[in-house]
Amino acid sequence: MIEPRVPVSAHSHRTRFGGEAKVAIAVFACLALFPLFVSGYIVYILPQYMIFGVLAMSLALLWGVTGILSFGQAGFFAIGGYAIGLMTNGSLPFGGLFLGLIAAVLLGYLVAALIGYFLFSAGVRDAYFVLVTLALSIVVEQLSVSQSQLTGGWNGMFIMRPTIDLGFTRIELFADIPVYYVVLAAVALIYAGLYAFTRSRFGKVLTGIRENEMRLVSLGVPAALHKTAAFALSGAVAALAGALYGLHSGFVSPSIGGVLFSTEVVVWVAIAGRSSLIGALLGGIIVSSLSNYLSAITPTYWQLALGLVFILTIAFFRGGVAGTLERFVANRRSAQP
Amino acid sequence: MSDIIGVAIDSVLITLVLSLAASGLAVVFGLIGVINMGHGAMLTLGAYLTWATTTAGLPFILAVPLAAFGVAIVGLLLEHVLIRHFYSKPFETLLLTWGFFMVSTEVIKIVFGTDFRAVSNPLPGTIEIGALQIPAYRAVVAVLSLLILLTIGFIYKKTTFGLRIRALVQNQEVASLLGQDASMLYKQVFVAGAFLSGLAGALISPMLSIDPYIGNVYLVRSFFVVTLGGLGLLVEGTIIGSFVIGGSETIFALATSQVFAQTIVFVLAVVLLRFFPRGLLAGRD
Amino acid sequence: MNRNLREAPAQSGISRRSILKGMSAMAAAPLATPFLSNAAHAADAIRIGVISPLTGAWTVYGAAHMAGFELAVEEINAAGGANGRPLEIVVGDSKTEPRIVVEQANRLLRQENVEFLAGTFSSAERNAAGPVVQQANKLMLYPTFYEGQSQEFFPGVCNKNMFMCGPEPSQQVWPHVEYIVKNHGKKFFLIGSDYAWPRETNKMFKEKFAEFGGEVVGESYIPFNTPEYESVLREIRDSGAEVIFHSLTGSDTVNFRRQFHAAGMSKDIIIWTVDDEEVVTSGLGAEVSAGTYVSFDYFMTIETENNKVFLEKLFKKFGNDTLMNTVGVGMYNAAHLLAQAITAAGSTDTDKVRDALRGSSFAGAPQGSITLQAEDHQAILPSYLMKVREGWTSVNDMFEQVQFFDKVTPAPARCTLPL
Repeated sequence: MIEPRVPVSAHSHRTRFGGEAKVAIAVFACLALFPLFVSGYIVYILPQYMIFGVLAMSLALLWGVTGILSFGQAGFFAIGGYAIGLMTNGSLPFGGLFLGLIAAVLLGYLVAALIGYFLFSAGVRDAYFVLVTLALSIVVEQLSVSQSQLTGGWNGMFIMRPTIDLGFTRIELFADIPVYYVVLAAVALIYAGLYAFTRSRFGKVLTGIRENEMRLVSLGVPAALHKTAAFALSGAVAALAGALYGLHSGFVSPSIGGVLFSTEVVVWVAIAGRSSLIGALLGGIIVSSLSNYLSAITPTYWQLALGLVFILTIAFFRGGVAGTLERFVANRRSAQP
Repeated sequence: MSDIIGVAIDSVLITLVLSLAASGLAVVFGLIGVINMGHGAMLTLGAYLTWATTTAGLPFILAVPLAAFGVAIVGLLLEHVLIRHFYSKPFETLLLTWGFFMVSTEVIKIVFGTDFRAVSNPLPGTIEIGALQIPAYRAVVAVLSLLILLTIGFIYKKTTFGLRIRALVQNQEVASLLGQDASMLYKQVFVAGAFLSGLAGALISPMLSIDPYIGNVYLVRSFFVVTLGGLGLLVEGTIIGSFVIGGSETIFALATSQVFAQTIVFVLAVVLLRFFPRGLLAGRD
Repeated sequence: MNRNLREAPAQSGISRRSILKGMSAMAAAPLATPFLSNAAHAADAIRIGVISPLTGAWTVYGAAHMAGFELAVEEINAAGGANGRPLEIVVGDSKTEPRIVVEQANRLLRQENVEFLAGTFSSAERNAAGPVVQQANKLMLYPTFYEGQSQEFFPGVCNKNMFMCGPEPSQQVWPHVEYIVKNHGKKFFLIGSDYAWPRETNKMFKEKFAEFGGEVVGESYIPFNTPEYESVLREIRDSGAEVIFHSLTGSDTVNFRRQFHAAGMSKDIIIWTVDDEEVVTSGLGAEVSAGTYVSFDYFMTIETENNKVFLEKLFKKFGNDTLMNTVGVGMYNAAHLLAQAITAAGSTDTDKVRDALRGSSFAGAPQGSITLQAEDHQAILPSYLMKVREGWTSVNDMFEQVQFFDKVTPAPARCTLPL
């Protein structure tokens, strides 16, 4: 962490994300065409993996862009899931789908902002921050178990699939195809928003903090505030993913907030590539769907293989798949005059 | 009155058992800064090796050191193949040791199966103090835990090996100028930490049901023990940290439910970490 | 959602591929290998999805859970199948996680095109499957002892597509309250894991307990994976309890009871557990478990003709040291009840099979004939109270029968009846 690195120049930055935009368009186009060729379970389940992809992006935003590692993304995911559940199942005097989504995002944002400000302003960082996020995951899981009057405890909470009322038309989200496209649209919007964010001035300051925090602080940048903002945004995105997950699966339970799920997210993002949003999105989709598929066939050996791939990635391919591809392309370019 | 003594004794026992569980991490994280997320897996491995050797007919008293050596060897392999290349990169070691956890857990499942395993209690019976009954084995483990910590403290403070490590911890460049083979010292410290984790897993095994995730119960707790106690304060720090994490849980549980007591302790740990980032004994930053 | 379910089987390309996938999945899962022969004529087989905790915290219960169903399916197929068609098992691993149950139930129904579901283990897992079977309008048979049905947990219970093959507290607990109170005193301490089954079971227990003038001197719910029990043990000691009514599960039951015994409390306080069947008691060992009361609808050592035959077949298929328990037998009975109902209905249509299951009996159950009540889908089962013997060496001499009631009718489900 101490090794000094030259900040990425504006030029290389642009080429990298420019390339990413093209990849992203291709990915979303493929996803949009997908249900034309297949049907059944896969069309049902793919939106769930896309939502996991959003969760992965929330970590990439934090880890890849800002250089803060979090082992607590699942905590925010669960906060979002329970928030939408409580807001739509009639246990509160107010609620509704849109209000629920807003509540989920706000809650994730506020919890992350509070924790972030509390710790970053005191200079808590690196491993210590990871530790706190681990504790956050444990606390969320424990609270969702112990507050059973609200959350249903360990038995979990049912969430009704909603009907979207757009004024001129209503979309009933029971059949797979409408659900698929609604989720896809949401994921694409979230991606576009995050992509724009990372390219904004603010996003570039965050990258600067990752590269050399001391230097930015000496230039008068309030790094703690910036890190807090990044953590809060990441918490909000994770909570939004959790809310979407709750609506899609119709069920949330404490384990979605737990440490093991949190670390799964880290594994997805590490393997896919922490520095690229689209990489993280794809990592979330591909690794979690492989997990589901292969664990049905050979649960133990699949986990073992995943662990080994994870170790190899960390040891030899620091940027994950996306980072390695990027470097490969960059080397090819620079080799040509 | 006996109630207060009861709570006090419970707190002492929990504090010492947790100190034992955290001692390996106190060495590895506290001295050479390796955020060993595989600490829990090493405890688990120690417990399983104890189960395997006692089931094979070995007496418990031999099984314990054997399990500790077994985990030390695994630690040596892990250090030699992976960790030694990443000492200057804390995030990478953190992730690599988590990878070690994933792999080791699955290997344990393949080798030992997933059934409940149990090591029978080598010291059944209780020690009676007035109206209070203390499980004999637990009391012995608590005493052993104290002895182990004092031994670690002695080695660290009073031997030349300890002196070299302290030199290394304080200033790596100076240490290497003095002719210390830093990479060898790192290796020795890491393996010692693994040995301690294995020893803890072995000693704890008769108190718990053994399953592939048993060590993880102690993982996050151990991290808080070490950070609250303060890095490098092997004896006093570990005990203070264990008291805050383990002992206070016992006390909170009196006033509220078990689950909530655990939650409060974690929140408390985070708050303390914020105000005492270098540990409770180091004072406010 | 329904639309797609109905469409899927029409696309033969997909379903053939998914059958192949299912076969390869089964070939790889060691538990399922005996069924490869059935898969060979899978064309007209009735596919049944079985959701079992094969990995995760409750793996220990998964083996008996699967074994019971596999044994039954083998018997059914040897006898010509259900309505002339063989049964085929498609396995889904719940990983002991409710959220995985939702995925697996959907995968089995949508991709594997199973026509029925059986299994899930804990009430949390069952509740997760509830909405899925409700929306897909498929039947599910649940094997485990559970907390009873009440409308507030719909669709996890009180679901017209769900049948309960295991006992609920009015059967597992109520018949034995009198005996324990008379013999061991009226001061009870209730300890359980922190989720719905222990809480609801204790609620039901207290209703009956009050009739005998019992006093609850303490009640504690323990979060999962708690390693240390010092403070609870002290609370129990200070409460003056004479009996502990115990509904901890998984590794927590083992940790608690080892520490309870190590603290020297087992000589003064009696434990009555409604969780620790053959598998967990084996895990506890003779020393720790001796003298404990256990109540269930089934134990491996019950002396019925059916059980003798059942165990013979079980040992022949899985080996002599196979452990069986109430849940495995629940799965065994579930498969037979389902096969009978399919035959009686002459179809696999959900509504017809549901009608056939209602009020149906299975005479071959290891406990002796059992019946599914028509109005609330609960099973009429026997109830045994056993005491764990001193110095037992295997399941054969683990339990000593204390008392037994045949054909205990469950209290009416607290649902909007009829289902």
